[in-house]
Amino acid sequence: MNKNGADAASKVRDTIYRATVALDDEKWNDWLGLCDESFHYAITAFSPEINKDMIYLQGSRKEMETLVSHLPKHNTDHSWLRRHTSVYTVDVEDDKATAVSSFVVYMNVLDGFNSHIEAGESRLFLTGKYYDTFKLDNGEAKFVKREVKIDNRRLDKGSHWPI
Amino acid sequence: MPARNHSQWTAEPPLQQGEWVDSRIYSDQEIFEEENEKLFKHIWVPVCHESELPNAYDFRTTSIAREPIIIVRGADNEVRAFLNVCPHRGMMIERRPSGSFLEGQPSGNPKRMTCMFHAWQFDMKGNCVYVAREQEGYQDRLCKENVGLRRLRCEVKFGGFVWVNLDDSPKVSLEEWAGPAFECLRETLDAEPLEVFHYHKAIVNTNYKLWHDTNSEFYHDFMHYHNRVTGFNDAYFARKNEAFDNGHVVVGTFTVNYENYEGFESRAELSFPHLPPNQWYMIDLFPGFNFNLRGSALRCDTVTPLGPNQVLIEFRGLGLKRDTPEERMTRINHHNSIWGPFGRNLHEDLVGVVGQGATMAPKSEPRRILHGRQENQTIHDENGMRHYYEEWGRWINRSPTNPTQPYTPRAGAAGDAAVAAAE
Repeated sequence: MNKNGADAASKVRDTIYRATVALDDEKWNDWLGLCDESFHYAITAFSPEINKDMIYLQGSRKEMETLVSHLPKHNTDHSWLRRHTSVYTVDVEDDKATAVSSFVVYMNVLDGFNSHIEAGESRLFLTGKYYDTFKLDNGEAKFVKREVKIDNRRLDKGSHWPI
Repeated sequence: MPARNHSQWTAEPPLQQGEWVDSRIYSDQEIFEEENEKLFKHIWVPVCHESELPNAYDFRTTSIAREPIIIVRGADNEVRAFLNVCPHRGMMIERRPSGSFLEGQPSGNPKRMTCMFHAWQFDMKGNCVYVAREQEGYQDRLCKENVGLRRLRCEVKFGGFVWVNLDDSPKVSLEEWAGPAFECLRETLDAEPLEVFHYHKAIVNTNYKLWHDTNSEFYHDFMHYHNRVTGFNDAYFARKNEAFDNGHVVVGTFTVNYENYEGFESRAELSFPHLPPNQWYMIDLFPGFNFNLRGSALRCDTVTPLGPNQVLIEFRGLGLKRDTPEERMTRINHHNSIWGPFGRNLHEDLVGVVGQGATMAPKSEPRRILHGRQENQTIHDENGMRHYYEEWGRWINRSPTNPTQPYTPRAGAAGDAAVAAAE
């Protein structure tokens, strides 16, 4: 890979990790700031039970903006979600790039079953992979698509938050 | 009234019998065991949908009351159910959640259910067709004809759901059990084949009845911002809770204004057959199954109690089998926006029942859980739960109000279904 390609791949990795930090900190607008206007987000899974690819949540950038703006109006489990992301591959072609990352999401319990007993505990919540597509422009890598493909079909209480 | 001391807190509320239950029915191990034996082993359970096994030799596995079950579609296209237990040494025959027996297995042949342990094989009708080294081991003392699988009562009904009953001689047929409750949606669900597009599950620390209560009472809509802005109007408050025999309840429909929630859209264009636009029907089947039709998508919840304070809930979403890809995508979005694991309402419902489970953990102090709202059997009346617990008392022979005592009919309970039907 030439220097420009290496720089672009580095920028892609940086953007993925910045997204992880923003999502961990529930700074939804910082996360969306890393996304292009054409951004599309989806949480997907394959179910061996029904033998189908499924979409658990999806939306455009505008729809994700609306979703996060409504969060204060909804009751939710307050436990933090903490992501550990590892970028496996980055492929750069002209002004586009794709990346595949592995992630695990831990729930650091605040509410739990009984916060007196469980608050402070971390437990595994989700595993999966991010399949990301980027637009490269002016030295920036912006998300244009993120597929969060999770392994779980058992999701217990679930979540209101983007993963 | 100011905060109460212990004797005030534990005193009986100023309500009538049947308008509260004792929390031990949600937390007692002995009662849980009785529920498995007296109830779940004798009722019709919707275990999956026929679209989950669309082809001959497809299978699906599940369990009821700790009994592992396998559902198979035979070469004759019939769906049958068996205990998923090898009659030889009790091995679970099929360990995967789904698949096809058209493929051979390391221990067995295609088109057979094969126990991997000792290679006994069974056909799709449950007949044993192969015992490894049969003559050498059993001579003429035991043969294949003696060791067929345990067949179970199984029917495909009410929109293609697969129903299983562990009881060879159930008290009533499936039609008698659930037919009247399904009447409001029968034409809709049976108009054309349906197909499952969504599956996920939750295991949460709460009693299964508390989940069914949440599906049965709509007073908790105050918890859901979505339901408040899309639903709270005169037509919503006029919705009726209609009681049916066998403990079932149907919540009548009204028109939901989905577009009142920013970013959401009307579901009118994809309404299920024979329904006006944007309707919302709810069928709560005793003792823990829910069919919830919101205009364009059908949701079905099934409970598998795992303990007095733990339940597996399986969530399915269904559309029409003939959907175009675009129509299916729209139904999926409609379904998941509120009912998916990352949707607006389901998470709130689950947080709610886990909170109940925490205060009613086994051995915690018994409490009284109120079911006493009376609003002419409309949406925030708690008559659905009162009707449910009357039926529960009959099956378990315990008083829901005082589970140390045997069941006695609640005054006026016999008229629950009749009164609702007459209105």
